[in-house]
Amino acid sequence: MRPSLAVLSGRSAWKGPYFVSFPNLREALQNNVPIKTQARSCTILPNFVGIKFQVHNGKEFIDVQVTQDMIGHKLGEFAHTKKRFTYRQTKNK
Amino acid sequence: MVHVLGVNIPDNQLARFALTHIYGIGPKVSQRLCARLQVHDKCKIRDLTASQVTSLTAFLSSPTTAPPLARFPLASPDYEPPPADTPLAQLQQPVPPKSTRPPPRKAGNRFHADPLIGLKIETDLRREVRENIAHQRMIGSYVGRRHAMGLPVRGQNTQSNAKTAKKLNKLDRW
Repeated sequence: MRPSLAVLSGRSAWKGPYFVSFPNLREALQNNVPIKTQARSCTILPNFVGIKFQVHNGKEFIDVQVTQDMIGHKLGEFAHTKKRFTYRQTKNK
Repeated sequence: MVHVLGVNIPDNQLARFALTHIYGIGPKVSQRLCARLQVHDKCKIRDLTASQVTSLTAFLSSPTTAPPLARFPLASPDYEPPPADTPLAQLQQPVPPKSTRPPPRKAGNRFHADPLIGLKIETDLRREVRENIAHQRMIGSYVGRRHAMGLPVRGQNTQSNAKTAKKLNKLDRW
């Protein structure tokens, strides 16, 4: 049995974290250009810190500024997909 | 009633069940604690000796700084037990170290480390849980948001029920 790391939370250690390699990572960090992505399941790696992402929530792209504390979480955790229900009198308003 | 770290432990229950009244100690950890203190399976809390209670309190107050376990090597087939009138203090003495003993177990090795070394109970554990929730809330993740809303975090249905989450999921749980 291969040991798995606790940080991977159930994923085999030999696979490493799941991430998408963004080709424009360096450019985004230098010029502060947001990276538009639909890869919600991409793990936030330490070299993503400081980059602005635009993560798809199924409808639109939500701005996510990556900070040090977000490392290890997924991009999708920060782009919420559900809206709280609020009652409106009429639909065409 | 025995008080351990401010928790009442019922007198008339088996030790391995009574210890689970402490927050952070379940049946498994309780069994390990009993083994460490050499409390037998059918022992009730009221039958614990004073030294066992003090050593239990001493261990639970700071598991990380607890002294390493006394090692009792297995008896060989030709072992003859000491006579019945040997004083108890002499029997309970740890075995003097031998040169053939394996090297002391390090905490880093997960297969040989003392499983109770990192034990967190009561206030420490509650603080850890609270900090984890606060961390999720601070970075603005979905988990933190669901805690703030008092709703289930892991995708359970909320049309009905979700009672446990509504009761427990708060930013300041304790």
